[in-house]
Amino acid sequence: MTIEMDKYRDATVMRLSGEIDMYSSPGLRKELLSLVAERVSPLIVDFRGVSYIDSSGIATFVEGLKGMRSFGGRLKFVAVPEGIMEIFTFSKLDRVFEIYGSADEALSG
Amino acid sequence: MTEGARITVSEDYLRGLEKKIEALTDVVKLFSTISATLDLEVLIKLVMEQAKRMMEAEGCSILLYNRKTKKLEFEVTLCDDDAASGILKEKVSLDLGQGIAGWVAANQEPLVIDDVTKDSRFYSGADRLTGFTTRNLSAFPLVGRRGLIGVAEIINTRKKDLDPELLKILCRQFAIAIENALYHRESLERERLRQELRIASEVQKSFLPQEPVFSKGRLTVSAVNIPASKVGGDIYDFTEPAEGKAGVLIGDVSGKGISAALYMAKIISDFRYTAHLEESPEVVLNRLNSRLSAAPMGMFLTAIYMVVDLGTGEAALSGAGHPPMLLVRDGEVRVMDVLSGPPLGILPLQYPCRTLSLREGDTLLLLTDGVFEAKNPEGERIGFNRIVEFVRQRGSGEGLLEGIVEYVNGFSRGVEKGDDITLVEVRWA
Repeated sequence: MTIEMDKYRDATVMRLSGEIDMYSSPGLRKELLSLVAERVSPLIVDFRGVSYIDSSGIATFVEGLKGMRSFGGRLKFVAVPEGIMEIFTFSKLDRVFEIYGSADEALSG
Repeated sequence: MTEGARITVSEDYLRGLEKKIEALTDVVKLFSTISATLDLEVLIKLVMEQAKRMMEAEGCSILLYNRKTKKLEFEVTLCDDDAASGILKEKVSLDLGQGIAGWVAANQEPLVIDDVTKDSRFYSGADRLTGFTTRNLSAFPLVGRRGLIGVAEIINTRKKDLDPELLKILCRQFAIAIENALYHRESLERERLRQELRIASEVQKSFLPQEPVFSKGRLTVSAVNIPASKVGGDIYDFTEPAEGKAGVLIGDVSGKGISAALYMAKIISDFRYTAHLEESPEVVLNRLNSRLSAAPMGMFLTAIYMVVDLGTGEAALSGAGHPPMLLVRDGEVRVMDVLSGPPLGILPLQYPCRTLSLREGDTLLLLTDGVFEAKNPEGERIGFNRIVEFVRQRGSGEGLLEGIVEYVNGFSRGVEKGDDITLVEVRWA
């Protein structure tokens, strides 16, 4: 998994690619928690290049989301590939995370 | 009788030869020491003691290159002052390029400096900390098969006439021996972890029902749980919440390894406590949800809990982000999306409940995602739909669970399972 940080309009964008699993999620967790500590919001996570996410990866985002909510921050997912979207809908996580088609939609949503 | 030609040699020449033989004997000894042990600490100490003696030096150090921090760290220092080694190990690390050792590591070239006060590359911080006075210093790169291992330093040596080529070969051998010892240490560590995971897996299994089959009246529930080598967090349980009622739980704790196993143990005790007090499955899930809301590291649980009225076959079901179950009725397979909320432990909310009237001959199949996320050697996952199709073709006859396990194993063709596999079958006769 690779993480690239970027800016889009007023938002911070985290671009992910590869597999988010028990091996790669500790790196992701470190990055997410430091963004939470800096109270970065909104944080847009771009899933375009993500090929797989397991429950360790999802738990990492749950922890990030809980952290963001504690200061009223917003975590938004964009460009979620079909296979990953299936995992989210299958486990009703589409009701937990804010998911948008694009960064523009996320910023107006 | 022939007599060999007599030659006359000076005493100095003989002494010189003697010295060379001594040096070579030392080198041979050093070679055998280098290959004598796989214990990293013993290896480094033995080699350094011999090298120090051989070089008639006051001290020597080994700095190992830490690939993560990209720094050189003092592993062992031998000198008359025992405290120095500890001070250097704890307090000093060098960047590549910093100090003599850093230069040697960055350039992978040996360096012999007769007077360190005249060399600007010398880093005096180590001397300041230890109280040692370095006058001359020879440093040699240790380069193994996978690149830089570290740097060996010889301090205040009285011997200046050692063959540089020989030293180079010695350092190469030493580097490879350190590399082997590091591999060995890593493989011991891996074995220890594997052992701990095996134990965790055994402990985890002990939390599941003693018998994988539960039978009461017209209801028979059977389960199969195959833990992955990494230890996942699958759970299942059978309960009797009230007279004439039986409960069946299937769940999956996020993550893998010992953390998931520990959390699963907590969840199952919370669940048993709550299920004993409450009859309605959604109330049990609501209670569990609030108990899990403070879960560490975003951990959550997906689950389906159903309570069956043993008299009427009426089943109440509540789900939390768990994969759908299959209902096999009259030879048809239906994917039943249990009215469900998100996984437990994420959001404060009320979980819904739906009912299902079981009919004679019905089979419900509950599973965890490890079943359909199994991979084949090509990296392809089996997928939920293939499992549905398999059940459709096979039917719900005797041995369904074993049949599915065989099918999954056949698909994955020996690829190690990344997650636990749990299947629970509920039959109404």
